[in-house]
Amino acid sequence: MLQIQSLTRRFGERTAVNEVSLSIPAGQMVGVIGRSGAGKSTLLRMLNRLTEPSSGRILHDGMDVTALKGQALRDWRTRCAMIFQQFNLVQRLDVLTNVLVGRLNHRPLISSLLGRFTAAERAMALEALDRFDLADQALQRADTLSGGQQQRVAIARALMQQPRVILADEPIASLDPRNAKVVMDALRDVNKRDGLTVLVNLHHLDTAREYCDRIVAMQAGRVMFDGTPAELTAEKVREIYGVDEAEFHEQAEEAVRPKHTVAA
Amino acid sequence: MSAAFHTDISPVVATGEAAFQAARQQRRLATLVAIAVLVPCLLLAGWVSEAWPSTIWAGLPRIGEYFWRILPSLSLDHLFGGTKTEGSLAFWFYRAPEWLWLLFETANMAALATLMGSAVSLVLAFPAARNLSPSPLIYQLTRRGLEALRTVPEIVYALIFVWAFGVGALAGILAIALHTAGANGKLFAEAIENTDLGAWDGVRSAGGSWALACRYAILPQVLPNLISYFLLRFEVNIRSASVVGFVGAGGIGAELYQVISFNYYEEISAIILLIILAVASIDLLSERLRHAIIGRLGGPA
Amino acid sequence: MSASIETWRARLPAAFGATRAQVMTRRLGWTAFLLWLAAVLWWFDFTPVRLWNGLSGLGVIIVMMIPPSPGELWVEILKGIAESVAMAFLGTFLSATVAIPLGFLGAGNVVTATLLRFSIRRVFDGFRGVDQLIWALAFVRAVGLGPLAGVLAIFTADIAVLAKLYAEAIENVERRQSEGVIAAGGSKLAALRFGVLPQVLPVMLAQALYFFESNTRSAAILGVVGAGGIGLQIAERIRVRHWDEVAFIIILMIITVGVIDWISGKVRRKLIGERGRQPV
Ligand SMILES: Nc1ncnc2c1ncn2[C@@H]1O[C@H](COP(=O)(O)OP(=O)(O)OP(=O)(O)O)[C@@H](O)[C@H]1O
Ligand SMILES: [Mg+2]
Repeated sequence: MLQIQSLTRRFGERTAVNEVSLSIPAGQMVGVIGRSGAGKSTLLRMLNRLTEPSSGRILHDGMDVTALKGQALRDWRTRCAMIFQQFNLVQRLDVLTNVLVGRLNHRPLISSLLGRFTAAERAMALEALDRFDLADQALQRADTLSGGQQQRVAIARALMQQPRVILADEPIASLDPRNAKVVMDALRDVNKRDGLTVLVNLHHLDTAREYCDRIVAMQAGRVMFDGTPAELTAEKVREIYGVDEAEFHEQAEEAVRPKHTVAA
Repeated sequence: MSAAFHTDISPVVATGEAAFQAARQQRRLATLVAIAVLVPCLLLAGWVSEAWPSTIWAGLPRIGEYFWRILPSLSLDHLFGGTKTEGSLAFWFYRAPEWLWLLFETANMAALATLMGSAVSLVLAFPAARNLSPSPLIYQLTRRGLEALRTVPEIVYALIFVWAFGVGALAGILAIALHTAGANGKLFAEAIENTDLGAWDGVRSAGGSWALACRYAILPQVLPNLISYFLLRFEVNIRSASVVGFVGAGGIGAELYQVISFNYYEEISAIILLIILAVASIDLLSERLRHAIIGRLGGPA
Repeated sequence: MSASIETWRARLPAAFGATRAQVMTRRLGWTAFLLWLAAVLWWFDFTPVRLWNGLSGLGVIIVMMIPPSPGELWVEILKGIAESVAMAFLGTFLSATVAIPLGFLGAGNVVTATLLRFSIRRVFDGFRGVDQLIWALAFVRAVGLGPLAGVLAIFTADIAVLAKLYAEAIENVERRQSEGVIAAGGSKLAALRFGVLPQVLPVMLAQALYFFESNTRSAAILGVVGAGGIGLQIAERIRVRHWDEVAFIIILMIITVGVIDWISGKVRRKLIGERGRQPV
């Protein structure tokens, strides 16, 4: 159970996330939608503590995540893996090492610094890669992979962390439709088969409806809607955003497009 | 047809001409101001450094004579004679074995100093990179510290270290290493500041500590750059190592200081020629190595 | 799990570490490196005792440096600083002036004779290998102690490098513009004067200013071998162990270098704008 209580983040004058409260049971797949600048990324980054909240609390199974420091914080980050729009792999390292990065917090510092991973860890990483049909690319450099492949490597890395929660920030915004489907299927698989809680930022309402158990719509840092896909009707969208669905898509696409897309 | 062409283009030419004249006027003014500043500066500098055209002129014959004397007196007939034959190469380089050994020592001093200094830079560069530094205070401290290390010339360090550590290569190596730590530290930190932080977020979000994120997210990206800087600094340090001996800090410098001070004319040119050859071959080697490494690790990301 | 390790090891052996040959070469490389390191550390006498004694000596020196003090001969110090700056300025000016014709000589598109150019380049490179301090020492023997030797040393050491940089700058611009002048019926000399010079002059000026900055640093130490400037003062103070004055001079040196960098940077930007930043 992930509880978010009055979570707020201000950047100077601007309030990116404003008094957001959500309660997410374990194993749920939640889609967060909203226009560019709605605060979706900020919300997810706060959950992983990559961004510090200005106020409010995050509780996971009763533990106050916002109070964590040092090793405890790193342990929390390991338990809530993050996936990014730009994949954020180490481009110059091979795929296998990128996946093994997910184990860093589970092992002794010195051997990590020296890059000495055990055979068991390597097999585990290959297993994770194999799940997404990438075992054969394990020794290639990450920058030789297509965008869709890189995102799947990122998911494999996330799984290596053996997390309870997966936070995915626009995981398919840089991908073509075919790769987008592969990646979303992978996320669903992780949610259904491994029972992980998945929070995924999306700008496409149809994708959110298709894959998620629950949709949270944000606007200007606030949660405007929280319910099942069925409840998010066309009228509801117009009510929240003042535009119809087609226009909403157009604006949302606009927002993610300028961030350079990686060729598939 | 040519007439039509002419009438077509002439207004353009007219405006172009006017602009050209205006720009020219401005340039003239700038030149005048520059001369008005430059000439007094030159006069002042000449007065302070006692370098008048007349003194330089008077010095020229002596300079000519000096460098003429330095040149070896080789004769074609005996060019390949033994060390005892005047006019032979062997006579000119009669102490070549000792000098080569000293050059070898100098190169090793430079290599060790570059290694030690760069190791320090590598450790300090991460906190000294603005985008990674754990806190602004640490950033300022390390950055300013590196700056201080860099600003003091090697030879000043060498002078002081010869007092502290005694005469010998040890003082020279530490002096060069300290300066290198500052110089490379700044370059390393700047290379790190130019990296993409996506991978950093990736490693941090996976629970990697600051040190591990430096190791896995940043180091692979900057490594080719760092190796390049390392080798370039090695080239620079060979030159430095050849002169720290002037103040007793080891290497071929001490020998060179002696032969120059005691006016062993031909030996001066012999040693300098050896230094030039050594520096040139090391430059060549290091350039090859740089290209090979960049080729293998891929160009700077 | 171990079963899966074995299957994966069979399928992708390279993922489980380097091959035997790779391991051997790597080990060999490390061994050679460590042997070299041990050898030079021993050769250069990096013994704990010596390091310890040196560091404690250094500690004493640093304690004696505080507080820095100008001592009684502060006029001499100021004179030394002025002398250093003047040496750097004059030396740079002279070498920058002489380097212009040399640069044209070295540029590939002006002198077409490849062999001549090749040998000129080699000479340039040769000069670069000789440290300024060596030139300074030689000139002290030739023209005597004093700043003139320093000026000449800076001039000689820089001339080759500057000429080389100038040659490259000329090569970068030559083709495009001088063709225009020649096409308009200009002579080869006119092509240089009107086609090349206006374009390369700002670049040359910027480079000369960079050299002035770096020469200020080196002029500060040429005095160590008697070639004038503040270096002489610092060497003397160290000889008589007036560490507080040494510290004072070092601080003054750092400030001077900083001020010169600042002024030169300003002039560079003022004279040539952003073009001065163009890496050549
Ligand atoms: N590091 C930051 N510094 C200053 N302002 C920020 C920062 N990060 C985000 N913001 C601001 O906070 C607001 C919310 O940003 P956020 O990235 O969370 O939106 P988003 O919903 O993810 O939008 P997008 O679809 O464009 O990714 C925006 O107005 C943004 O400008
Ligand atoms: Mg976002």
